[in-house]
Amino acid sequence: MSLTTGIMVGGIYALVALGWVLIYKCSGVLNLAMGELTLIGAYVTYTFHQMGVPFFFAVLLTLLVGIVLGVLTERIFLDKLIGEPVLTVIMVTVGLSFFFKGAAQFIWGADTRVFTPPVFSIKPLEVGFLLISPVYLWSFILAIVLLLVFVAFFKYTRWGLSMQATADDETAALSLGVSARFVYAAAWAIAFMSAGVGGALLGNINGINISVAYLGLLVLPAVVLGGLNSVPGAIVGGILIGLLQNFAGTYLDQFFPGGVKEIAPFVFMVIFLLFKPYGLWGWERIERV
Amino acid sequence: MSSVWLPCGDYHQNYVEDQGWWQSKFIKGKMILLLAIVFIGIPSLAVSPEGEYWVSVATMVGYTAMGALGVQLLIGFAGLLTLGHAAFIAVGAYTSTMLVLQFPWPQFIVDWGLAYPISIVAAGVAAGLWSVLFGLPSARVKGFYLILTTMGAQFITVDFVLTQYVSQIGGRGQAFSLPPGTIKIGPWVIESDVQIYYVMAVLLTLMVIVLANLIRSKPGRAWVAIRDNDIAAEALGINIVWYKLLSFFVAGFMAGVAGSFWVCNTAALSPEHFPWFLSLWLVGVILIGGVGSIQGAIFGSIFMVVIMELLQMAAIPIADYYPQVLFSFAYIKDMAFGLAICAFLIYEPNGLAYRWWQAKNYFNLWPFSY
Repeated sequence: MSLTTGIMVGGIYALVALGWVLIYKCSGVLNLAMGELTLIGAYVTYTFHQMGVPFFFAVLLTLLVGIVLGVLTERIFLDKLIGEPVLTVIMVTVGLSFFFKGAAQFIWGADTRVFTPPVFSIKPLEVGFLLISPVYLWSFILAIVLLLVFVAFFKYTRWGLSMQATADDETAALSLGVSARFVYAAAWAIAFMSAGVGGALLGNINGINISVAYLGLLVLPAVVLGGLNSVPGAIVGGILIGLLQNFAGTYLDQFFPGGVKEIAPFVFMVIFLLFKPYGLWGWERIERV
Repeated sequence: MSSVWLPCGDYHQNYVEDQGWWQSKFIKGKMILLLAIVFIGIPSLAVSPEGEYWVSVATMVGYTAMGALGVQLLIGFAGLLTLGHAAFIAVGAYTSTMLVLQFPWPQFIVDWGLAYPISIVAAGVAAGLWSVLFGLPSARVKGFYLILTTMGAQFITVDFVLTQYVSQIGGRGQAFSLPPGTIKIGPWVIESDVQIYYVMAVLLTLMVIVLANLIRSKPGRAWVAIRDNDIAAEALGINIVWYKLLSFFVAGFMAGVAGSFWVCNTAALSPEHFPWFLSLWLVGVILIGGVGSIQGAIFGSIFMVVIMELLQMAAIPIADYYPQVLFSFAYIKDMAFGLAICAFLIYEPNGLAYRWWQAKNYFNLWPFSY
């Protein structure tokens, strides 16, 4: 039982982890505002859904809003930072995370919002001898679909390749005629979009409040495990962390009562970084003076 | 080159002079004036209730600065990004509280009021060692991988160890209450705003002196070399693992002292005083104040704390017309903080300390600034 739950929760982690990996792969930036983007995505979907739009179309509209917000964010804040050290950009994303968190709570308040009527039925589906809640199943399927789409995008399209080039070496990419402004705008639009989908699904599990933003941080161990720039790594990492978390909850809780379940991934991450800092499939960078 | 431009006609003859504390009589005078303001000027505000409020604001500035100095050492001098400094402050605060409340002190130590001062040092050491533990991955990784480990430190320490285990000691549940009169230094019981302010001022002054001395001696030069290029530093024979861990220890020690100071400023200690927000806040403080300078940490703390106080004061009259402003003030504060970080990074990446340096040099060389 904890095996299936682990895999299914891992599917959600994988979905959010994809957002992290995408923006890292596109722009070489660790986007610490990812959790807040997820939160905003959840709220926007919720707002459309409350206005009477069917859930599927609400998600599509969220994607549109995500593109607009992503391009706006890039134009207002990150456009001026092209060519600056990567760490500066990371700190700007920290600032953005505060801004988005404050703005989201300012607009939607701090109370938990629940999708009414519920989008997915609470009754678990029976697959063979297993019981699976539909939300988890859908997010698992969605994560796999998005994985295929994004792998194809990065491997076969011109945009995907130019994004990878920018992430690898901004200066070289600029000199080869890649438009960094376009790449960053696209990267942020994609991040907002994937976070929006993730948020829409997450909002269906426990309702929407600030804890959705924290979940965006909780997937960090998954991202590290898979390697920061590996799309399949995000999926595998997400599922492994989901499993690990559930096994820790089942077997370790008797020895360390309390919140072992929430903290186990982080303990694992710190130890993992000591031994294999680039994750399972991340690029190993060789540094020279 | 020294960090100050000297007035025309003043030259340094040797290296010792170049690295000296007081590079000219004028600078020495300024420092004495500053100490006089800190130790006599600000406490003398406390004659009126209004002034007492501003003294407590100054205490908050000092607390923020104590935390930010450690972050400044890690980020600004050693180039090790940390987003979990609140964890080490929390370790310090809890060590100090546990020692004062639970440790079976011999009677004479309690009588002489030595328990709290000893616990400050112990808190520093405990937090320093805890910080080294999470600094270990820095031997292998850097940049944002280090952000991840320090974030791990935050969640593991505050959300798990402190909340689930340490808080349960003594069966109180969530918070440790500190009854009035527990915190004693020598013959003085620390309870009024002014006394707390003095504790802060002494600790902060000591910390600034220690840090400034470390920065201008061998460890400081090693840290700066590691920050600028760690591979080159290693090639030059600097033991980078040792110095990275040393910087984690010193930063953790400072955080521990800041934490044990927080104990005397609060009536009850709970893990909620050390959220992840505090870690980010401290990083924001040094980004705004200026990365890579001790003044930066202080300017940043003054700027952030005072601006937030002023925002709060502005919110009260506005609330007469729009009551929801007061309700959602915390969110406005978040937004303002986030925007301030972004704006400073984009338009003023050198921070307030750089502007201060420019102004100082302008007047140093005035009117012949060429």
